[in-house]
Amino acid sequence: MSSILSVQNLNKSFGNKHVLHDVSFDLTKGHIVGLVGPNGAGKSTLMKTMLGLFNYDSGSIEVAGEKVTPQKHESLSKVGALIEYPGIYPFLTGWDHLQLFADGDHQLIHIQKIIQQLNMDSFIKRKAKGYSLGMKQKLGIALALVNFPELVILDEPMNGLDPEATKELRDLIISESQRGTTFLISSHILSELQRLAQDLLIIDEGRIVQQTTMHDLLASQGKQTIMLMTNDDKKARQLLKKAKFTTTPDPRVEVVAKSDDTLPQVLRLLVEGGVDILDVTRLEGNLESSLLEVLKQSRIKKKLAAEQAE
Amino acid sequence: MWTLVRQESFKLTRRVSTWISTGCLVGIEVLFAFLSRIYPQTFVPANMFESLYFSRPIINFYMIAAAATIITMEFQYGTMKQVLYRRYSRGQILVSKWIAIFLYTLYWYVMSTGIALLMKALLFRHTLSIHQGAGDGMSIFTRGLAISAASFVSLWLLLSMVFLLANLFRNSAAAVSVGIIGYFASNIVTQLLTILIQKWDWAKWNPVTMTLYPSMLARPGYYQPLLRMQGWQMLLGNVVYIAIFLWIGYYVFNKRNV
Repeated sequence: MSSILSVQNLNKSFGNKHVLHDVSFDLTKGHIVGLVGPNGAGKSTLMKTMLGLFNYDSGSIEVAGEKVTPQKHESLSKVGALIEYPGIYPFLTGWDHLQLFADGDHQLIHIQKIIQQLNMDSFIKRKAKGYSLGMKQKLGIALALVNFPELVILDEPMNGLDPEATKELRDLIISESQRGTTFLISSHILSELQRLAQDLLIIDEGRIVQQTTMHDLLASQGKQTIMLMTNDDKKARQLLKKAKFTTTPDPRVEVVAKSDDTLPQVLRLLVEGGVDILDVTRLEGNLESSLLEVLKQSRIKKKLAAEQAE
Repeated sequence: MWTLVRQESFKLTRRVSTWISTGCLVGIEVLFAFLSRIYPQTFVPANMFESLYFSRPIINFYMIAAAATIITMEFQYGTMKQVLYRRYSRGQILVSKWIAIFLYTLYWYVMSTGIALLMKALLFRHTLSIHQGAGDGMSIFTRGLAISAASFVSLWLLLSMVFLLANLFRNSAAAVSVGIIGYFASNIVTQLLTILIQKWDWAKWNPVTMTLYPSMLARPGYYQPLLRMQGWQMLLGNVVYIAIFLWIGYYVFNKRNV
């Protein structure tokens, strides 16, 4: 599949402080990509640079094959974004905002569609100065999506949203990605990102530490566990131990899946051993622990490399 | 580009302050027209008409505030990012703001001239003719227009400075203060300027002298020998300084991180 955004060897400094180091990655069309990393890792700087808000020292940024610089960025017509917090004119209504930023043909249809999708009818005609944090956030997201762009960049989009609004946004992101829209989402709410993102970009100290898929990251951290309910848990545990499967210390019957073949092998073993299987659940590791592990490993490697260099 | 200008104008028209200030200006013109009618010895009708019933200084203050806030409000409300990460270049965005403010200046001048003509028709139908001579071969009307044109140009010299400061400091207070000080500075330092110009002829080319362009058109016999400048030189000086300040602002806006 082709790439909607390509960043190659991007370097950015603020004075003497080098904040982005040879950042390179491509985003595949129609994917939801999570950009994760600790505070100060360079997520917002990277997003702002991609949107032409910051100058950069070297490298290239291309959206749909066209270069993006702070001075020239026509290709950003294909991009919608919400960075840091929504910028709202207090003297305009939500509708005015959408009217102001809606572009191209069928503006009215687009505005009405996004209002309906984000359930904003009740406040859209009110002046924005009276909006709650959640209303402002919804308006910011609506502004990013109003032109139904090919690439949407969202920085902490779930900020201030209640559970209902979070679900509406999640449904909207999934449905738009199925229609071919690419999303790059930075969020500290990792549980939400785990439910949404297919691909991940992990950034630390201005470097892309890992570009991977959500499935591969969770699996690579050895956290994919199969939980079994049987009619005889004691016997099941003995059979698994004898066959040298790795089990967890959990009182339930849990097996660590080292490959895709683990599940059928376990099922065959237990059935042939005369154990009835009542239920099977795959327990994937969570993004938080996997991310912390990746960051830990990356810092250890970096420290070792520095020591060797000395 | 016109989409951007329309968007900037949309924001201006949605601000309550735009309509309140319009109401205030109309009120001031009507008030001074009535004062001129009641006290013609103090508020001489021909002079009051020429000054558009005291509206020009008010327009200057409004426009200094409008030029500062059209840039600084984007930083204040956090909307600058949204304005910039669209397909339009930074240059186009800044130029659209200049054009919107230019059109807004025109709006004020056309409106205040229209109100002045209306007041003249309503209150001075038989006592004042706009075609009566006002010296230098000009009628009251043409002289009023000439002073308006000169005020427009020197106002834009101040506005180009205000745009630059708003860009540099992202703070409307600083830009508005310097604009208003700039407006009064020319009158305050006229005496000092004339001394300097009498001593060093080249000193006349400083930007503060240029802001005296409308005063010179109003009293050419007084200002021309003092400033050692002709009207066309003042016009040229204004245009050159406007271009310089706008260009520096353009350069800064293109280079800055948002």
